[in-house]
Amino acid sequence: MMRQLKLPFYLAFQYIRRGRKWTLFLTIFLMTAAFVNLIFLPSLFNGIIDGANKQIINTLTGDIYITPNNGQDYINNVSYVLDQLRTIDGVDALSAKMSVPANLKYNNITLSRQILAINPNDEKNVSNISQKMISGSYLSSGDRDQIIIGKQIAGGNGVEENAISFKGAKVGDKVTLILNGKPRQFNIKGIFDTKFVQSDERAFITNEALQKIMPSANNKATTINIRINQDTNQNAVINSINQKNINGTVYKWQEAAGVMKSVSNSFLSINIILSFTSVLIAAVTIIIIIYVTIINKRKEIGILRAIGIKPYIIVFSYVILSAVYATAGIIIGTILFFAIIMPYFQIHPFVLPICNAVLVLGWSDYIIRLEAIIWVSIFAGFIPAVIVTRTKMLNAILGK
Amino acid sequence: MKPDENCIIRTEGISRVYSSGGVSVKAIDNISFEVMHGDFIMITGRNGSGKSTLLHQLALLDLPDVGEIFIEGEKTTHLSEKKRMDFRLNRLGYIFQEYALIAELTALENVMLPAMMLESSKVAKKRAKVMLTKIGLHNKFNRLPSQLSGGEQQKVAIARALINHPKIIFADEPTANLDTTASVDVLEIFKSLNDKEGITIVMITHEPEELVYANRIIQLSDGKII
Ligand SMILES: Nc1ncnc2c1ncn2[C@@H]1O[C@H](COP(=O)(O)OP(=O)(O)OP(=O)(O)O)[C@@H](O)[C@H]1O
Ligand SMILES: [Mg+2]
Repeated sequence: MMRQLKLPFYLAFQYIRRGRKWTLFLTIFLMTAAFVNLIFLPSLFNGIIDGANKQIINTLTGDIYITPNNGQDYINNVSYVLDQLRTIDGVDALSAKMSVPANLKYNNITLSRQILAINPNDEKNVSNISQKMISGSYLSSGDRDQIIIGKQIAGGNGVEENAISFKGAKVGDKVTLILNGKPRQFNIKGIFDTKFVQSDERAFITNEALQKIMPSANNKATTINIRINQDTNQNAVINSINQKNINGTVYKWQEAAGVMKSVSNSFLSINIILSFTSVLIAAVTIIIIIYVTIINKRKEIGILRAIGIKPYIIVFSYVILSAVYATAGIIIGTILFFAIIMPYFQIHPFVLPICNAVLVLGWSDYIIRLEAIIWVSIFAGFIPAVIVTRTKMLNAILGK
Repeated sequence: MKPDENCIIRTEGISRVYSSGGVSVKAIDNISFEVMHGDFIMITGRNGSGKSTLLHQLALLDLPDVGEIFIEGEKTTHLSEKKRMDFRLNRLGYIFQEYALIAELTALENVMLPAMMLESSKVAKKRAKVMLTKIGLHNKFNRLPSQLSGGEQQKVAIARALINHPKIIFADEPTANLDTTASVDVLEIFKSLNDKEGITIVMITHEPEELVYANRIIQLSDGKII
């Protein structure tokens, strides 16, 4: 019995070694294509979700953010709150922001956009906007009549929201900030482009500038954004913050990802549907390949049976053959994916209004699909081989 | 009928009817005969007279619709496919008209294959080499079927049929695709197997000049022995 179990491996090995090289090449090529197709989509979706989440964290919220308690407009006594927060383990950086209830006017265009007053030195450590300047420069502390604006406010050719922007404001141009009906001239110091439309619809000034036009805002904030240490647990930090009894409400960044969450959820269901169809297409492809191979071997299989080779050995040899095809496809597909496809999209990412997405392949996504392909090909080798070994032996041999 | 000690195959009234497309053909019709140990039997008859059909029944490649086939006294028609397979593997050797070798296996590997079902591949290989050498193919072990002539392929098929030491060899027109020299070669191999090793041979032929090798000739016509 053990001796007989070597036979299917022996047969499969000889089929591969001595079979037509072109057939082998094409089969493995198709397997590779099927596998790459199967891992590409989840990687793209993961990449988009991942990219969007990073945009939210890096340009909007930080890892954790605090807003005024229900019914209050501000977090009061900010310097004390910041001092309190700094003592918490795992808190890396903090930035308090004050939302300025003003409109912006450029030439004769008036826009109502979110304008935030910040401490540039703090904000640099929490968000990456300072690294996203496409012209001019970032704010420095002490800047009093300088403003930086997002690409979607500046506008210009090729900008998504050009129609509702300043349609081409440049660094050095003057904009007027109108607060409670009082105009104030600001100089555009820089324009930033985070590639995230929602972030690029904002403008920033320094706390010092706000101080001059709205003294009541002193030591107040509408949000505090917090960066935590990579190795620190988000919930643990939130617990510690809550224990400090700060007069504000603490949120995880995920809670700001409202839109993205529904996008991720739809991606999840699209992903499931598409993965299912991809597996199905892969399955059908593999079944057809193996079926054609086996039908071509109908006579040989009949002969093997006639000379006393047990059907299970024959079936098993084709199962091994398909598993080898699948494994080869997986190996080549994996190499192709990680060595060529992923680096390619690293250099040429998908440009989306939320982020520039690259491919991110989750380990479990990979394993699940790998297993799917293996099982499908085993099934694909098994079924046609069983069918052929069940047909009448003589008909198979005599080609009837 | 009292079973004879010396009888290796006995058929009792076997018939096989093929029906396809609403037409049924009685390919063999109520055939009873005996093959003795050491017989060299040739079956002849016109095309379509039922020779192949009869041989398939004897070699347990097919089942008769009626009748019984005894091999060494054992009833065979009720046997499971697994048992019939064991019979074919251990006791019967079959040679097809068209060589019927596995294209991806060399001469040696083709011959080894049935032996690998029963023995280690090392032993199987050794025996296959002996068998091929005996049959005159000692220098063609590693040739693929496509690299062998028709006669050589048929010899490989014979070696494969012989590898598990069958008691009976069945051959369906083994020389039909061969030239005269190759045909004589094959028949001489059969003759020596029959003479020296006492292997029973049942073969089909269309060639009247081959009949001299047989000790008994069975003539079929319309599925009946005449
Ligand atoms: N699978 C089949 N289905 C239907 N009819 C068949 C089948 N096999 C054989 N026959 C018919 O049965 C009869 C006997 O066929 P068989 O092959 O036994 O003849 P044969 O004597 O071997 O002929 P030949 O000399 O041509 O090989 C023929 O009429 C043939 O057409
Ligand atoms: Mg015939």
